[in-house]
Amino acid sequence: MEKYINARGLQCPGPIVELFKVAKASDSGDLITIEVTDSGFKKDLAAWCKKTGNELVSIVEEEGVIKAVVKKG
Amino acid sequence: MEKQKLVVIGAVAAGTKAASKAKRNNPDLDIKVFTKERYISYAGCGLPYYIGGVIKEKQEILVRSPEDFRNNQGIGVFTEHEVKKINVSEKKVIVEDLKSGNVQEFPYDKLIIATGASPIVPPLENIGLANIFTLRSVSDALTIRELLDSGKVKKAVVVGGGFIGLETAENLKYRGIEVTIVELMPHILPPFDEEIALYAQNHMVDMGVNILTGEKVTGFEGIDGKVSAVKTSAGDIEADMVILSIGVRPNTAVAVEAGIETGAAGAIKVNKYMETNIKDIYAAGDCAENTNLVTGKPVWYPMGSTSNKTGRIAGHNAALVKQDESMKDSLEGVLGTTIVRLFEINAAKTGLSERDAIREGYDIETVLVPGNDKAHYFPGNKRIITKLIVDRSTRKVLGAQIVGEGAADKPIDTIAAAITLGAKVSDLAKLDLAYAPPFSMAMSTTILSANVMMNKLTGRIETVKSGDVYKGLEDGSINILDVREEGEFFISAIPGSTNIPLNEIEARAGEIDKSKETIILVCKLGERAYSSYLKLKKLGFKNLRVLEGGTCAYPYELI
Repeated sequence: MEKYINARGLQCPGPIVELFKVAKASDSGDLITIEVTDSGFKKDLAAWCKKTGNELVSIVEEEGVIKAVVKKG
Repeated sequence: MEKQKLVVIGAVAAGTKAASKAKRNNPDLDIKVFTKERYISYAGCGLPYYIGGVIKEKQEILVRSPEDFRNNQGIGVFTEHEVKKINVSEKKVIVEDLKSGNVQEFPYDKLIIATGASPIVPPLENIGLANIFTLRSVSDALTIRELLDSGKVKKAVVVGGGFIGLETAENLKYRGIEVTIVELMPHILPPFDEEIALYAQNHMVDMGVNILTGEKVTGFEGIDGKVSAVKTSAGDIEADMVILSIGVRPNTAVAVEAGIETGAAGAIKVNKYMETNIKDIYAAGDCAENTNLVTGKPVWYPMGSTSNKTGRIAGHNAALVKQDESMKDSLEGVLGTTIVRLFEINAAKTGLSERDAIREGYDIETVLVPGNDKAHYFPGNKRIITKLIVDRSTRKVLGAQIVGEGAADKPIDTIAAAITLGAKVSDLAKLDLAYAPPFSMAMSTTILSANVMMNKLTGRIETVKSGDVYKGLEDGSINILDVREEGEFFISAIPGSTNIPLNEIEARAGEIDKSKETIILVCKLGERAYSSYLKLKKLGFKNLRVLEGGTCAYPYELI
């Protein structure tokens, strides 16, 4: 399943909290795309992936929007 | 009438400033400046950036040349001329031309001593090996830069984690060199308080610098006369270059021999006019002591900012035709205000540290408050953490420290100005500071931290310092309740803490472990912990403490 989170405009910790909730309700192999404007998110995301074992499939930053795709492990 | 003669010893910051000021105020003066160095009027504080290549050209760090002084101002500057003796009774200096060996006498009516300070080089085993340097003079910087440009340095050790050492470490790292800092004290930035210094230290480690604290350098090993390793209490560290940045000592030998008194840290004693105990002899810059504006006690802060000021005052006063008190310029004291950039963070300090204040016998209160340097919604806003130190009885601000990714210069300068004018913390809280989203929060970090201090002083909030939480973890006496969202808690938290998010705290209050004496409330910045503090207090909980600065300013291990 593919899921999308629009976390644009949310300040820390909003984006990671949203991602945490969606991932918790997802199954192994699900792809989650999240769009974030808070620059602190990248560090949180790296720590979250490391801790959960979820895979960071891609991360791109364009015009101040960070778009990350993660695969639930 | 014969011209009045002013002799200045030393030609870096204070010496050249004194000579220039004296000449401007009194163009009739005959001014001679003697320095044993080859280079004059250079940007000593810029040297780490020169070896790093940030400042590219040697010419850029040489502010003015002897020719500039001679041709533009009519000031005679004699480089590689060492003043060997001051003859106080005959008002003469005895000077050796270091190139020719000739010795000559020069009379003076007024004398300004600006001999600066020199790096400490401890008598360690094999200290004489090649490629072990100090970084103080232009000559040091040129030699180090040349060695780095040759590409032969892969590993470097910096001994001492003060400003010069850290700036040098940063610049070496940017050049792709593996860098290890060895610091004898428990943390880098020794004049800073622990939680601020550890924040900076963690950042440097994140940026790839190896840091050993609480360790001692015992000697060096070499191959073919060049250093190959540093011997420390934690074992040997390979190095093909070593920078010694342990500290500096005031250069006072000539002055002491002439009977000039020294005081704090061996620096020359001066009054607020930069006058020494001997009539017509002044001292300025790094060789002279200062007065701490908060304590009123003599201190020694060898810094470029202060050297320029004291040099200017000495020049002004030495140039006065009539020694009328009311015409004299003076400096009441300094705060030791400093700032340093370390990779992507800034660290700044003014006034007394918490440690200084306790040592001076003040009954103090401190706060540690995270905030943003711009509006939190404005792109590019970055965090800074402000520590305030306040005298509990007078409520006067004694000192401040700031660390973080955001701009630290503006707030530290604001607080330095406030302390200089004797501000109380309530004055700081009410300052009318410039605000628009690209520049500040509506309530700037300075105002915010002053308000938190007011809350603490009036008993609205009880807090705990990160260091005390860390100690409490070891002896198991505390109960840590993290009130952030589950997702945040999951990513990183203080070991042994439990999680109940703020919005569930009332409903789940029954789950809170009451067996331990104190409940420490934790969130990211301190704001949610304060809200939970108020809620739990209402529910009858006692012995609640909010972790100052939250997890973002907690410099110890998070899991």
